[in-house]
Amino acid sequence: MSIIKLSKVYKRYKIDESIVFTALKNVNLEITNGEYVSIMGPSGSGKSTLMHIVGLLDGATEGEVFIRDKNIKGLNDNEVSSLRNTFVGFVFQQFNLINKLTILENILLPTIYSRKQLKFNPEKRALELLSRFGLKGKELSYPNKISGGQQQRVAIARALIMNPDLILADEPTGNLDSKSGAEVLNLLDELNKRDKKTVVVVTHDKEVAERARRIVNIRDGEIIKDSYTK
Amino acid sequence: MARYFWFIIRSAFSDFRRNKLRTFLTSLGILIGVASVVLLIAFGLGLKKYIAQQFESLGTNLIFILPGNEFQKGGSMSGIGMIGGAKFNYKDVQKLRSIYGVADVVPAFIKTISVSSSSETKPSSLYATTANVFRVRNLEIDLGKVFTESDVKKRSKVVVLGPKIADDLFDNKDLAVGKIVRIGNTGFRVIGVLKPKGGGGFGAPDLDSFIYIPYTTGYMFNPDKNFFAIYLKAVDSSYIPLVKKQAKELLLKRYDENKFSVIQQDEILDTVSSIFNVLNLILVLIGAISLLVGGIGIMNIMYVSVTERTREIGIRRALGAQRKDILWHFLAESVILSLFGGLIGLGLASILVLFVQKYFPAYIDLSSVIIALGVSSVIGIIFGVFPARKAANLSPIEAIRYE
Repeated sequence: MSIIKLSKVYKRYKIDESIVFTALKNVNLEITNGEYVSIMGPSGSGKSTLMHIVGLLDGATEGEVFIRDKNIKGLNDNEVSSLRNTFVGFVFQQFNLINKLTILENILLPTIYSRKQLKFNPEKRALELLSRFGLKGKELSYPNKISGGQQQRVAIARALIMNPDLILADEPTGNLDSKSGAEVLNLLDELNKRDKKTVVVVTHDKEVAERARRIVNIRDGEIIKDSYTK
Repeated sequence: MARYFWFIIRSAFSDFRRNKLRTFLTSLGILIGVASVVLLIAFGLGLKKYIAQQFESLGTNLIFILPGNEFQKGGSMSGIGMIGGAKFNYKDVQKLRSIYGVADVVPAFIKTISVSSSSETKPSSLYATTANVFRVRNLEIDLGKVFTESDVKKRSKVVVLGPKIADDLFDNKDLAVGKIVRIGNTGFRVIGVLKPKGGGGFGAPDLDSFIYIPYTTGYMFNPDKNFFAIYLKAVDSSYIPLVKKQAKELLLKRYDENKFSVIQQDEILDTVSSIFNVLNLILVLIGAISLLVGGIGIMNIMYVSVTERTREIGIRRALGAQRKDILWHFLAESVILSLFGGLIGLGLASILVLFVQKYFPAYIDLSSVIIALGVSSVIGIIFGVFPARKAANLSPIEAIRYE
């Protein structure tokens, strides 16, 4: 089953009145439920733009985006925000935790913004995730008091709290030492294999990309290769 | 829902904790504004109460007959209308005595004079009147005695001093009784000193500095034998309208309608109160300018906060926050900031009022509390809504990319 599908997607930015920069050109991409996909490309290739469109942080200038076969064109800002809240969990290169909130509050943040009645106890689930990721006892700490590897694990816990279908990771090991990076990649593997989450990793690092079963190569805004590794 | 708002409030407080000094300085404007407005209201209320007490202490069930028609209910009290008004005389007093429902009639001739004891000379107000003035106007004797009907008849050269002028003339009022004071070239024997009555503040006559003499004796300073005012005391309050009506009808036979006023105590109180209400309102509005400045301070800091926290806004949006969630976050912060200032301002004003109460009957009523908290909340909303809207309208992707 298709979890996300991009059809003839273009993304253009107006730099000034006369110059328009095309970040994505005619991108066609379909990701099915349970896949582990890497989107790989050098800096400026358009991979982050693609991730933002897949993650509903940004819209396409042209073309169509389908979430679970539903065209998102016509959804208003509130509906897109709700979809982001429930459908996708983000893991960023810079962790993007809010420093003034405790670890527990950071993990609970998506549940605060949920418009739906939660079918689980958010605090209980947050504590379970912390325990699973080796962060038991850190719930009342603040993000700047823990290591980068721990922060990224908190970010992964936060991405999982709403039990989304899709985990989107943007250079998840970019700010980590190799040991912590390996731990995070192992976690992403685990989420895909054990939790049956669809995982999309955006990276420029070939080693990281090769952890996925499918690698989508992008260059100058175009998909130049879409292949399976294993 | 409760969890949502609790989180937003906690989130705001955690932000304030991280920026304690900034939070305090931002609230300071509202604090000063609310404190000054509440203090001005408290003083205004105190002043009204003080005036009412002063009027009540002058005696009850009183009707004043004054020259001119300036004393209109709720109107001005310039005194200009008194000039050229009726000049009352003893004939009026006698006629007014015959009115049904009148218990007492007190004529008064008031003149600014210079009075001397053996050692001091002081300016004072001469109050030439009948012997019943002490009863009608609740003037109680402290030392010696008051003058009597007999003194009035005999034109006795006696005076009863207010306690302040007695102190001024004799260093100690206890020494005044029996002494001679001179007004002009005439000597008068001090036969009594009154108990303090208060008053004299805010331009009102200082009753404690008056010198009371029999009106007949006072004719030496009043060759035309006129009276400035005549006071009528009704048998009880139910007779006041009837007495007023009869007095008016009686005086109309002698004077034009616009030459005199027949008014009751409450009407004067209303007139005076209305003047102080306007003054107080102007002062409160001036105080409110500092609230406006405080509000602008909050707005400024909220704009700074939106810029500083652009990335945080992007993160929240990425996690599913809707525009209205971001709006709530910032609005809650500005309202809490403003309310915080308002509460401290109210507290500060309360402490000052408690301190001042020893000297002046200022007080804070429920309406002041409601105004303080209501106004600070409204300021928080008004001055917070623009920065909050700016935050809410940020595009998630641009916000999260913000460095």
